[in-house]
Amino acid sequence: MTDTVTLTIDGHEVTVPKGTSLLHAAETLGTEVPHYCYHPGLTAPAQCRICLVEVEGAPKLQPSCVTMAQDGQVVHTDSPAAKRMRQGVLEFYLVNHPLDCPICDMSGECMLQDYVFDEGREKGRSREPKRVFGRDDFGGDVLYYGDRCVMCTRCVRFMDEVARDSRLTVVERGSRAVIDTFFDRGLEGASFAGNVVDICPVGALVSKDFLHKARAWDLDHTPSVCPNCSQGCNIELHTRDNLVQRLKPRENQEVNGHWMCDYGRANYEWMNRPGRLEEPAAGRGAKRRRVDWKSALEHLFVQLRAGVGAEVKVVGSAAASNEALAALAAVAGEAGEVSSRVFRSPRAADEVPLPGFPLLVRRHDLAPNVDGAGLLGFERTGDDEAKGGLEDVAGHDGVLFVLGDELADRNEDFGAAAGLYVYLGAFDSPAARNADYVLPVTTFAEEEGSFVNAQGRVQRYRQGLQSPGSARPAWLVLGALAAALGGHGTPATAADVFAGLVAAHAAFAGLTWDALGDRGAALRTEAVHG
Amino acid sequence: MAISVKVMRRPEAGRTSYMRATLKGMSLTFRHMVRPTKVTLEYPEEQPDLHPRWRGTHRMEVHADGRPKCVACGLCPTVCPANCIRLVGGEDDQGNRYPIVYEIDEFRCIFCGMCQEVCPVEAIHVGQHFENAEYTRDRFVYDLDRLMEQDHPVTLLWDPSDPRSE
Ligand code: SF4
Ligand code: SF4
Ligand code: SF4
Ligand code: SF4
Repeated sequence: MTDTVTLTIDGHEVTVPKGTSLLHAAETLGTEVPHYCYHPGLTAPAQCRICLVEVEGAPKLQPSCVTMAQDGQVVHTDSPAAKRMRQGVLEFYLVNHPLDCPICDMSGECMLQDYVFDEGREKGRSREPKRVFGRDDFGGDVLYYGDRCVMCTRCVRFMDEVARDSRLTVVERGSRAVIDTFFDRGLEGASFAGNVVDICPVGALVSKDFLHKARAWDLDHTPSVCPNCSQGCNIELHTRDNLVQRLKPRENQEVNGHWMCDYGRANYEWMNRPGRLEEPAAGRGAKRRRVDWKSALEHLFVQLRAGVGAEVKVVGSAAASNEALAALAAVAGEAGEVSSRVFRSPRAADEVPLPGFPLLVRRHDLAPNVDGAGLLGFERTGDDEAKGGLEDVAGHDGVLFVLGDELADRNEDFGAAAGLYVYLGAFDSPAARNADYVLPVTTFAEEEGSFVNAQGRVQRYRQGLQSPGSARPAWLVLGALAAALGGHGTPATAADVFAGLVAAHAAFAGLTWDALGDRGAALRTEAVHG
Repeated sequence: MAISVKVMRRPEAGRTSYMRATLKGMSLTFRHMVRPTKVTLEYPEEQPDLHPRWRGTHRMEVHADGRPKCVACGLCPTVCPANCIRLVGGEDDQGNRYPIVYEIDEFRCIFCGMCQEVCPVEAIHVGQHFENAEYTRDRFVYDLDRLMEQDHPVTLLWDPSDPRSE
């Protein structure tokens, strides 16, 4: 018995694994069959009736989301009968739909808008008054506009099957049917409810945070990785006017499926925080003055060269990319005897798993690259609030590097005794007062790089925002410095730094920047667990 | 195609009289002196009669209760070829979507009228208005209040009795 079947869809022959639905088989040919209730992450109730296709020999049109492909089947997704049916179904949807696209947040990415524009009737024939529900606050970040709902029940099934926290249901019947919460218990306090906004095919469920903020077509989408915990859900940054407007999950079955948690989704405002360091500066305290990058790096290079052999202490960050941390370790290694490499990172008391997709867990570590920092030789210090733990570093009298740690719990005495103190950060800090060099670096959203998530998966993120002033990615600054000190070529891209990192750290062996792509690649298991 | 050249023959200089042409021109001048046809206007005492489709500076329509009709749908900033409309949407205290910021830079505007054409709620209009002198340049960025205050007639981009020109 073979485990593939061959069928004909719209005149094209296609071979798919057994058990593939017609909808997916058509997708492999690039044909999208319209659908509402079907979602690849949920069960298929075949109730929206818009994915019906004509199968030769079958007495009626078949719902393509639940009809499995069979050998020798001849399917027409675009035959007159299928089209007429879709037009009819769409007309029924519009009997009560308010068509308030101008004020609807979904406008521009709405499946009803798209389908009606493609295939719908030019004019509706219904002359009845439309029913009106108004809107309902579901709690949490979710608002419900009942008039726009197409009753696909994706949201209900998500809460039942994936979140396993049944908080939504259909009440009433027929044209009076609406989605509702149970009495006064809404979505407040649920950990994954934000996903219902993503999967709602129309503008019935919208995010309060994003309400009226931007139009879908004005947003730029950048593939990225959620920086709010060490699960590293694949996400997209949606940006406009050089500000992150919202985060959306990006499908990756190895990490987060189609989902992301509400904690991660809501934590993006820090990427837009103003008051950044914009220009490099040199000199301690009152002697601080602006310098340009060239002279800052040249002077720093000369000083590091002269001081070779000194004891070096390094404070890194679990929010910094692998590239930045590896380059930092390389610079420190060239500068002298490295006696400590530490990072501090916040930890949550609990983990929050997604019951219906157990791979996805909001992890203890609320920073994206705790595991990468560990593999690159950095040790955790401080408490679960990312405080304390730097007592011996504060009074160190050799060379001191700080990257990406704002030292919020430290005062102006930090680093006073250091022979050379280099501070690389996005924000100024009182504890940077004694720094000989303050070098502005980009944040996660403004650079390319990679993180290692809690599963030992190396994942790339891309640049979504322009950096302010002359801030540069930390890997570029440190990579140039390491290259000068080590006498090898200056890296020009994050890919160059990553190649150097792979060569220098056995844990990353075998990986290439291109192989990481947008889905990431797993580290060899012995590197993670041994 | 081959290029052909036509050679013009003119009388030699000094062998032709311009008297006839001069008299013709003078007679026209005299005719206008006794029976003038006026094409200029005594502006500003006299105002020009603008064509219904004449497009000038904008005007925002308002509801009876004084709210702007705009629902901040974002279509006009999207369609505007000069990219001169700035819009920030929000929600007012009655739960209606409305423009928190709505600005048109009239210097950049090319008066194409597409904003009026695209507006789903007939809020923004180009107008029958051209007297826009100001003392400073920044006064040419019209904000929402200014657009709502305008009271000149709006442009008719299509015939209301035959909107599709059928
Ligand atoms: S609210 Fe959205 S997801 Fe839920 S049933 Fe209605 S249309 Fe479907
Ligand atoms: S589980 Fe972690 S990585 Fe995923 S969305 Fe939540 S915070 Fe982000
Ligand atoms: S008239 Fe044309 S150029 Fe002027 S604001 Fe409207 S769309 Fe833009
Ligand atoms: S097109 Fe009309 S409703 Fe939409 S933003 Fe412009 S003025 Fe407002």
